[in-house]
Amino acid sequence: MIDFLLEIGVEDFPPGILGRTGHFLSSQLENLFKTKKIFYRSIRTIYTPRRIGTIILGVARRQKPQVLEIQGPPKKMAYDENGEPSLTLKSFMKSRNFKANEIVVKRLKKGEYIFGQKEQPGELTEDILYQELPKIVKGLEFPRTMVWNESRVRFPRPIRWIVALLDRRPIRFEYAGVKADRYTMPNFHFSFKPIRLEKPREYINFLRHGGVVVDPNERRKLILSRIKQTAAKLGGTPVFGDEMIDELNATTEYPEVVGDEFDPDYLELPGEVLNTVLKAHGNLIWIKDSNKFICVFSAKKKAIQNVQQGYKRVMQARLFDALFYYKKDIKQGLNKMQEQTKGMMWLKDLGSIYEKTRRLVKLAAQFDSIPNLNIDALTRAAELCKADLCSMIVREKEFTSLQGIMGGYYAKFQGEDDLVARIIQEHYRPITIGDGLPETDEAKVLSLCDKLDNVTGAFISGNLPTGSYDPLAVRRNGYGVINLLDHIDSGLSLFKLIERLEKLYNRPVPVSTIKDFFRERLTRYLQNRGFRYDEINAVLETWSGDVADVHKRCEALKGFRNHRDFTQLIIGQKRLRNILKDITAFKEIDKTLFKESAEKLLYEKGQEISAALEPLYQTGNYTEILKLLLSLRPQIDKFFDDVLVMCEEEDLKNNRLALINFINKIFLQFADLSKIVIEG
Amino acid sequence: MKKVKTFEKAIIDLKTFWQNQGCLIFEPYNSEVGAGTFNPATFLRILGSKRWNVCYVEISKRPRDGRYAENPLRFQQYYQFQVIMKPSPADIQKIYLRSLEALGIKLDEHEIKFVEDDWESPTLGAWGLGWEVWLDGLEITQFTYFQQAGGIDLEVIPVEITYGLERIVMVLQNVDSVLDIKWNNEMTWADVYKENEIQFSRYNFEYATPAFLNRLFNGYEKEAQRLFKAGLVFPGYDCAIKCSHIFNMLEARGSISISERANLIARVRALTNQAAQLYVKSISTEEKKG
Repeated sequence: MIDFLLEIGVEDFPPGILGRTGHFLSSQLENLFKTKKIFYRSIRTIYTPRRIGTIILGVARRQKPQVLEIQGPPKKMAYDENGEPSLTLKSFMKSRNFKANEIVVKRLKKGEYIFGQKEQPGELTEDILYQELPKIVKGLEFPRTMVWNESRVRFPRPIRWIVALLDRRPIRFEYAGVKADRYTMPNFHFSFKPIRLEKPREYINFLRHGGVVVDPNERRKLILSRIKQTAAKLGGTPVFGDEMIDELNATTEYPEVVGDEFDPDYLELPGEVLNTVLKAHGNLIWIKDSNKFICVFSAKKKAIQNVQQGYKRVMQARLFDALFYYKKDIKQGLNKMQEQTKGMMWLKDLGSIYEKTRRLVKLAAQFDSIPNLNIDALTRAAELCKADLCSMIVREKEFTSLQGIMGGYYAKFQGEDDLVARIIQEHYRPITIGDGLPETDEAKVLSLCDKLDNVTGAFISGNLPTGSYDPLAVRRNGYGVINLLDHIDSGLSLFKLIERLEKLYNRPVPVSTIKDFFRERLTRYLQNRGFRYDEINAVLETWSGDVADVHKRCEALKGFRNHRDFTQLIIGQKRLRNILKDITAFKEIDKTLFKESAEKLLYEKGQEISAALEPLYQTGNYTEILKLLLSLRPQIDKFFDDVLVMCEEEDLKNNRLALINFINKIFLQFADLSKIVIEG
Repeated sequence: MKKVKTFEKAIIDLKTFWQNQGCLIFEPYNSEVGAGTFNPATFLRILGSKRWNVCYVEISKRPRDGRYAENPLRFQQYYQFQVIMKPSPADIQKIYLRSLEALGIKLDEHEIKFVEDDWESPTLGAWGLGWEVWLDGLEITQFTYFQQAGGIDLEVIPVEITYGLERIVMVLQNVDSVLDIKWNNEMTWADVYKENEIQFSRYNFEYATPAFLNRLFNGYEKEAQRLFKAGLVFPGYDCAIKCSHIFNMLEARGSISISERANLIARVRALTNQAAQLYVKSISTEEKKG
């Protein structure tokens, strides 16, 4: 058994796609080994900012032996009357070079046939790799690539060396103008001298000496444990998320960690600002509520002093800027900033930011029916919520993500109510699809209004999302609207809100397109909540704009799946639907035209259920509603058993169709259950 | 007292280093530019297939970045050292790191980090992929493989290396502010430029006349178009550069709205792209003649 190493040496790779690329490369190699039937014991993904690769241990020198099988003549032609090989068989054996012990008989559909079978040694692993490796590198896909030399090969960053070593032999394939060999490069902080590898097993240790920890898992652990150690020494809680560690892991070859302090004068700044500055300048990790921080870097240990001093210098210059802006903003006050929003355009032709907030105030007023909602605070917050866009700090590219948060602070400084400040601070949430919602109902309402206005504005101005292109994040905003409506107990229809907005814009709004968009968003939302596509489809068929209500109906329908008569319920409406198909116009039901008792019974049962359903809809008791709908089933079945709907008498036929429609409508009031897929 | 690397010596060292790499030593352009990329020695010369290796100091003017000399790192004017190598050598990253060593930066005593940065200049219709290079957390260089310039896909890929001279020297001299850099053994950066910085900050933010700048913008735009019609690429491009700077001035003055901003950028881009196209046309006829 031998080992194999592939390493693609690059100039510093984009950290966002590094891990993904490393794992994809490994999985492609794994596939290659499996489909080519080359045995191996273990496979390990490696990546650092400057290399992507795979180590495969315990590799076979050759493919597994291949069985060659060739069909020959039919058995009856292969032997003469004495059971001796015929001329036909002999010439088959001779032409294909089969010996007597390699001949077998197999039964096929068309009779028994002669087959020649023999084992052939597999191809050399080396030869296969030489052929396939360039294809594998070429097959990697990336969102953004570049050209750097005459080969015009595209890759995210230039490829500068390739190591392809099988045991002691390099596999010298060529890609992007680079010939694969046995030389890798150390961390440039340590040396520029290429490292010669005799065999793959030397790789990890030789590189460790060259200042590179090649295994990303090992590096991650190292980073985390060193952060914890340093934090313990500094005394405090480091503020970081998984994402930050991933990025540090993807930007360091040899992680070292050092802790330090910045000038305590900057503690005057809000924690969010401190954290943002630290993060933006090299993913520095803030020790919560202190002037301490941790720096993860990738260099030699003896660089510590310079690194400490350097990062601190840059970061403090930025804190200097931030504090300067912050003080100016406070001095100016949120009211003045609000005034300035009159001069800040929102979307093309859609007026200013100020006008947007005027719409938000009016739209938010629609929610005054929510019990205990502080409408005064909500209104005030809606007026002020965008003012911080004109603050000096939020206008800086680095701090745009602090919109809302800064507004909250500035609101407090000018003596606004605490709740007002809180609403402003929270009103952008949920920012991402998985983000939490604001805690206060008032902020939920404001966030909802803002997002709905964003979506509507985007549709009016023609900034529709297409494919992966969605510059105004219309989809995310739309999802947020659904999420928020589901969590605000308002009973308000989304459609009504859109119509209200249309009036506020006082210009044509593509209402039906927007409704379709939200239908799609709602579908996605419910799917993420674990509902099946057919359940969602059934319920949305009768959607009138109430999001929370649709969610409840899905819940009930899903719960009812476990009911032993669930299938019966669904088949009930399916039978009705099958008859009605495309018929849309119906006559009034004429009781005098009922001929069979089954007609009368179904009608009376329908009336009874209809009346019983009404109070249940008032309270939204959907499980009970489903039970009542199910109780229609015997009368439906009897009707179809006893009555011929499509009879010759036009009167009777129309009356029966009207009756079926009446019953179907009782179902439709809940959902179109005929859309449910029944398995088996 | 320990002798430090002066600002002027750092420039001399870089020139010597790149001269040894085969670069022609050029000089700054004679109009205000936001970056060395605007210099025709970069923007026009990276077009076409001819080999072109050059280095030069450029005065980068960014009116919006002025801070009245109160911020240690931000100024409305600073010095860039620009290197173009076309085609880009295979070991260019190493050559660059060697240039830092030539300046006196010991690689084992610092952290050099290549931080992903997709560079784009909307006014030049140019983009490339590369990095900001950080020295102990301080951005000291922009390192870019150009892919497109003037809206034209490049035939031969050049590498652009742009050093922020003040910042590097700050580290070399171990001072916390650009103002404290020793220019030579007698004068500091502040001695040379502080008053200039304050006055230009006041001019850019407070005293520049938007109406006058608007007139200039329109005038230079017309002039550029006229010159391009006459096939005068270099003078026409010179007017485009002026438009770009005037736009930066207007922006610093805070007198353009967001939609107007996009509009002005598009107008500058139209001019620079026209220059690029004309230039490519002229060199291809030249090559045919040759």
